[in-house]
Order: sequence, then C-alpha cells, then structure tokens
Amino acid sequence: MRTLALFTGVIMCGLSVGAYAATEVIHQRGRVFSSETLSVKKGSAVTFLNDDTVPHNIMSASKGNEFNLGSQTPGTSTDVTFKESGDVQVICAIHPRMKMMVKVTE
Amino acid sequence: MSKPGFYHAALLVAAIASTASCLVGFSTIGFGAAVVGESRKVEIPQNARSGLDALKAQYRRPVTIPFPRENPYTPEKAALGKKLYFDTRLSVTSAQSCASCHSPGFGWGDGLAVGVGHGMVNLGRHSPTIINAAWSAIFMWDGRLPTLEEQALGPIQSPGEMNMKLDQLMERLAAIPEYKPMFEAAFPGEGMKSKTLGQAIATYERTVVSERAPFDAWIEGDEKAISSEAKRGFEVFNGKAQCAACHEGWNFTNEGFQDIGLPSKDVGRGEFLPGVIKMQHAFKTPGLREITHRSPFMHDGSLATLEQVIDHYDHAGVDRPSRSDLMRPLELSAQEKADLVAFLKTLTSELGPTAVPVLPR
Ligand SMILES: [Cu+2]
Repeated sequence: MRTLALFTGVIMCGLSVGAYAATEVIHQRGRVFSSETLSVKKGSAVTFLNDDTVPHNIMSASKGNEFNLGSQTPGTSTDVTFKESGDVQVICAIHPRMKMMVKVTE
Repeated sequence: MSKPGFYHAALLVAAIASTASCLVGFSTIGFGAAVVGESRKVEIPQNARSGLDALKAQYRRPVTIPFPRENPYTPEKAALGKKLYFDTRLSVTSAQSCASCHSPGFGWGDGLAVGVGHGMVNLGRHSPTIINAAWSAIFMWDGRLPTLEEQALGPIQSPGEMNMKLDQLMERLAAIPEYKPMFEAAFPGEGMKSKTLGQAIATYERTVVSERAPFDAWIEGDEKAISSEAKRGFEVFNGKAQCAACHEGWNFTNEGFQDIGLPSKDVGRGEFLPGVIKMQHAFKTPGLREITHRSPFMHDGSLATLEQVIDHYDHAGVDRPSRSDLMRPLELSAQEKADLVAFLKTLTSELGPTAVPVLPR
C-alpha cells in the first residue's frame, strides 16, 4: 500500500514535470512577441523569455490577471501563472507595437 | 496603424491608465492577479556577426506611405487637410494654425525650446515634428493619443493651445462658403463635421515625409554620398553608443518610451502608467530625420545642439530607478562624438520649399 502511494506520488510528480516542460514560451526577439495569441489552461504558466538585445517591460492590466515584470534584461526568463479565465491583453510598456492576447480557459 | 488591432490597443492603454495604480509590487502579490515566478538567467545564442551590408539593409526607405484602412488617401482629402492645417481660424483667436507650431520652416516644428500656446503662454514640452507621422504607432510625447486623426483634434481643443471648442469651430467653418464644397468632395455624403476635419488634417500630415537625404544615397550604394567621418559615426551609432537600440530603422525610432535621465520633473508616460517604474519620466523616442532643422532638442527643448545631445548620452544623465537600463556612461572619445554628429547630419535632406495654400473665404 505504501509502495502504491509512493508510486502514485512519483507518477504525479512526473506528470507535473511533464506539464512544466510543456510550458508555452513567448520570445521577444526583434521587439515582437513570437505569438499574437496563445491559449492556456487556468492555473498554468507562460514563460516570457527576453531573447532580444534590449530590455522589455512585459505587463498586463487585464482584470484578475494583472502582472508587471518590470524591466526584463536580455537573457532573462520569467514564468507567469494565470489564475482567472478570460482574455489577457499582454503588452510591453516600453514598445507600443508589442502586444498579444493570452486566452485563459477553464 | 492600418492594423485592425490598433484601436483595440488604444482601448487597452486607456484601461491600463485606469487600473495601473494597483500595479505596484505585483511580483509579490498573489490574490487577484497572475503569479510571477522567479526570473532565471538564460543563455541566448547570438546571431553570427551580420556585417555592414545586412545592417545597412535595415535602413532602406519605404517606397509607399501607409494610410489606415479607416481613412484612405484621396487627393481631395489631402488638399482640404492642407488648407485646414495652415488656417489660423482653427484657433479661438484666429491667430494660430497647426503650422504655427509645426512649421515647414523649422523641420515641421517651431524652433523653440517649448511650444507657445493660447495667449502666448509657454507650454510644458517641445513641439514635436510631424515629419513621418504616417509611420507612428502612438502619438504625443507621452503617447496619450492612439491615432493621428485624434491627435489632429487634440491641440485645437486644448485650452492651453488653440483653445477652440469643436462645435464652435464647425460653425465658424460652415460660415466660410468655400469650405463646404471641399468637404463634400473629400467626404461624399459625410460633409463637414469634426470627424472629417480630423481625417482631412491627418491625411495631409501623412504626406509630410522626410525627403531623400545623403544617408539614403549611401544606403542605396553611393559610397561618395557621405563622408568617412559619417560612415564611422554610423558604426558608433549602431555599436558602442547603442543609439539604434531605440532610434532604429529608416525613420530612426521604434516609438518606445524611455527615461533618458533628463533632469525634469515631468513624468511623461508615467502619468498613464503610474505603477510602472520605467515609465516615470519616459517619453516617446523621436525619429531623427531632418534633424539639423529641428533644434533645440529633447522633449523639453533643453539641449541646443547635437553636440550637447551626444554629451548627454555620453554621461547618461540622472541615475534614478526609472532611467532606462540602456542609459549608462559610454566613454566616447572626442573623435567618436564628432563622427556621430557627422553621421546625424547626413539624415537631413535638401528640403524643398512648401507652398502655403490660399485659404477659403
Ligand atoms: Cu519591449
């Protein structure tokens, strides 16, 4: 019984590692987001990776999913976990052409 | 500007402005907000050195002017817009036109440190040029207006500028007989209203494009078009001095908002994004075309010469939390500074004269 519980734990852990590895990555090279829209399940994370040559300031003011990464230097990666379902407009405060939508589903 | 998403973005900015005061310290807040995890350092593979030719290719002039789908170009609209742009009767005093502060004689600015508005009172910021406004994604030094159509109506109504109520203006224009048929020709079935007024002025403004400069001839292959000092300056601009991190592309701006460390109390973009540290004292990056006609420089007109501008960037200005991470002492040599100035001067064309239109009576 104990073995089974341990076994289950290992599986759960393995699954969550699998989910982590599958986290969507948004690149910012050339001052554009690599996707215009992205769908994720509520409670899962999106990785914002600054693989550009200049700092970006990724943020959202969409209700329930507000965040602000501040000045993200090149070569920095940050995960954002969305807790509310709905459309999240993500922008770069610095560069007005950078905008994308994260659709958070139940 | 022609993208349908543009107006959506405008709404978003308004939404951010109204909610941004709760943005402070989000990285530590969980409830009612997305959760921000720890940041990690990631090795970014750098592209192989692309070389001068690839760099120069990024600076090619566009062949056509972009007009938005919502307000396409017609010659009738542009002609009407030009008359309105130069018509002083758009101000309550009938003494100031758009061209008073955005004059072709001063690189489509006014040659002053800060603009002069209603009652000859100084404004808070330098009058920006309208050159290449067709390529802008967002308007005003603080980005508060999302389209050129809205921008055109802003200073007309602003109490400190032309101080003219739109209802009163449309009544005044309706009393000038020659305007009515021009509006009808430009906007069949729509006629005279504040919306078409803004559309006509914006259409004319989009036709104000920087002319071919020596720099363009060099980009297109004429090695004799600019001096060797200027060519070295181009490399400093793109390399050691990192000017191109913000002043990028043929119009020399990516429209980004940056605090460049000028010692002014004006928070600029920060007024609309109060919780975002990097937006405090941040202003829209201006393009650099026709730059020698546009002194004095900066959002507050505080620097008189290009040499002073280069010196400012060299020592990086006021070190404060809002200052862009791109601002750091550059330690440029006297030669590098002189080369940068020589390069900047190649962005100015032999600007042809602009004919002032005969105005309707
Ligand atoms: Cu950015």
